[in-house]
Amino acid sequence: MRVGVYFCNCGPNISEKIDSESVHRSVEGVPGFGYFRTVDFLCSSTGTEEMENDLRNEKPDRVVVAACSVRDHEETFREVMSHAGLNPFLMQMVNIREHIAWVTADREQATAKASAQIRAAMKRVVLHEPLERKELDVNTGVLVIGSGPAGLKAALTLAEAGRKVYLVEKEPMIGGMPVRYEEMFPNIECGPCMLEPVMGEILHGPDAGNIELFTLSEVVEVVSSYGNFSAKILRRPRGISSDLCIGCAMCIEACPASGPNPYNCGMNDKKALDFPFRGVLPNLPYIDRASCLRTSKGEDCTACRDACLVEGAVLLDEAEEVVTRSFGAIILATGGALMDCALLPNLGYGVVPDVLDALEFERVLAASGPTEGAIQTYSGTTPRNIAIIHCVGSLDSRHLNYCSGVCCEVAFKFNHLIAHKIEGASVTHFYKTIAVPGKEEFKLYDEAKGRETTRFVRYDDLSELSVSGGGLHKGISISFARGEGIEADPFDMVVLCPAVVPSEGTKKMLSLLELSVDRFGFAAEMHGRMDSAKGNVRGVFLAGACQSPMDVQKAVNQALAATGLALSGLVPGRKMIVEPVTAEVDPERCSACRSCIPVCPYKAISFDAERRVAIVNPVLCLGCGTCVAACPSGAIKGNHFTNEEILAEIAEVLI
Amino acid sequence: MIPYEPKIVGFLCNWCSYAGADKAGTAQIPYPPNLRVVRVMCTGRVDPQFVLSAYREGADGVIILACHPGDCHYKEQNFRAIQRHRMLLRMLEPFGVGEERCRLDFVSAAEGESFARVVTGMVEELRALGPLGFGIDNTVASGSRRESGI
Repeated sequence: MRVGVYFCNCGPNISEKIDSESVHRSVEGVPGFGYFRTVDFLCSSTGTEEMENDLRNEKPDRVVVAACSVRDHEETFREVMSHAGLNPFLMQMVNIREHIAWVTADREQATAKASAQIRAAMKRVVLHEPLERKELDVNTGVLVIGSGPAGLKAALTLAEAGRKVYLVEKEPMIGGMPVRYEEMFPNIECGPCMLEPVMGEILHGPDAGNIELFTLSEVVEVVSSYGNFSAKILRRPRGISSDLCIGCAMCIEACPASGPNPYNCGMNDKKALDFPFRGVLPNLPYIDRASCLRTSKGEDCTACRDACLVEGAVLLDEAEEVVTRSFGAIILATGGALMDCALLPNLGYGVVPDVLDALEFERVLAASGPTEGAIQTYSGTTPRNIAIIHCVGSLDSRHLNYCSGVCCEVAFKFNHLIAHKIEGASVTHFYKTIAVPGKEEFKLYDEAKGRETTRFVRYDDLSELSVSGGGLHKGISISFARGEGIEADPFDMVVLCPAVVPSEGTKKMLSLLELSVDRFGFAAEMHGRMDSAKGNVRGVFLAGACQSPMDVQKAVNQALAATGLALSGLVPGRKMIVEPVTAEVDPERCSACRSCIPVCPYKAISFDAERRVAIVNPVLCLGCGTCVAACPSGAIKGNHFTNEEILAEIAEVLI
Repeated sequence: MIPYEPKIVGFLCNWCSYAGADKAGTAQIPYPPNLRVVRVMCTGRVDPQFVLSAYREGADGVIILACHPGDCHYKEQNFRAIQRHRMLLRMLEPFGVGEERCRLDFVSAAEGESFARVVTGMVEELRALGPLGFGIDNTVASGSRRESGI
């Protein structure tokens, strides 16, 4: 074993403080010492050229470079090694500039310290093993889960770049939550109108051929890792052929059964075979198996099929199917939901009539909703006095201690729409804090403040409020626990603006994909500021309200960020480089204790139950080494940072 | 007689404290030369046995320098280092080795000054404390030590 030592003077930077001749004398006794070179500027083009030629001539087994920080030039010298035909991992760098020359006052002491660190590097480097960067073929396709604004925009952008996209949506229609909103803040723009151009492109645009859309579907299994995922997708029967149906609605008229419409929050009924609501895309009805006479009662009803104008378009006994697709990356865009207001019983939600949450009120406002856009109480009258309660569950340490950031905007949008739909109606905002940041967002608040019919009542804590009364022709009273009550006519309707929480679909997918969850239940980002579109499992990117409450603008921006990462990470014709500085399990020594699995931040370790050994996936492992230190059997090796290498270094620096 | 100078082994993580030491270097903030650097990718890699081995090899003190809580490049592995450090302290206490000889601190990539201050402070403290004396005679025991591995 011959170790070649390269000492960089870095001009006067190192040579002024460290005497290379003394260092040379100090290290030549280390077993395996081969030769010592002093170079003026090793990182310069002449320096690297000189080093490369020298390596070719000397053919050392190992190399130590004593120069600057590994963070500056480790890669430079690894390249020199490669060019000289040596394995780049057979080199160890010592930082004698930043860590010694520039911070040590005394030349003799600096020289002694540099000698010790270089000797330690020599002792370590002889234990180094040649490591190979592996190259992996990748599938450049992307699975997008969720078809709200974020999922749609991601899918379309990827398709436009020529990537194959599998877009999975659990509902019968695409567009997510905003497609259910008549108007959106901040510009009172119609939700479906805003989304339709994107949805149209997804369904029929020039790049639609790159997108395979799965509606009424769910991802039920994902295996393998970044670059080569594979998933099972469960497709539930729609009962209508998407190829043949022309959307004429004859079957809907004929359908004899009906049930509560979940897309209107159960506020009205729809036919068992029906559209979720009018105007959905794809323009296809679906059979609701909970109310269809065949599926729920076992009756032999064929009314829809009999009425259908196109032979074979109604598929009465369609079965669910599981399909498998392969792709390289995943964009999670499964969105958020509203907190269940029944968790705050003092607000009367679910008990007092005409207390609605924000989503129910959105549907009341929508032309495709249960009242076709008319604001009505459950007894059919037009409310004159409406209360809107902000911060329901948010900014509250007993519930959700964060600001959802969208609810105030939604509340002032409601104010605007109420004023336009019911002339002279008064609106009272019960608020804790008002948050309307952004260049467009202040406008609706400003407008509400200027409206004579609008009042603002501040509360300190939501538990002070008590919502009661209600019922036929009776008002709803909102009183303060501290007794000072609100002096106004009772309210005809109360709208609650609850916190945004992760949706059920998000929770399910986070667990399925083994992504880390933050303290609020949202998907945890790789880094909250610098890498917020990455989940902590490599190859899973985050977009939209699955990671945090978000408005449409931010969700779409996140989607485009996630798309960018998928596009740059998986490039057609380019292989994925798998870095070798990872952990590796020796199956002979593994005791199957599984201590390593929970300490891995990247879910890179799995357990092979059959062989009873832990397995590290090198694509997912980022080489932190925590599992290596955690393994009680010493069965995990941290490549390039093995126990033996580190112990050799420790022993020698202390001599 | 040569005055006593403590030997300190510092486990520096690649992303924060190693870079913090670089920062002290570029800012040319002087500190005593008693620290010997062992770079790891993450302080989560620091096996408690590395620390014990440092004492056995003659270190008077060991310092693990991690990223600030919440800043870990590998999400939260510095918390593992914190847990292991607490365990080490409990274990070392009966041997008279206190926290002043077995330290864990946090230095970010930007905190060159803090790096120099932490190292200087530890050196001064250990100078006052005197040698630990756990070190074995390297010339005699190095063979058996190597064989025993970890």
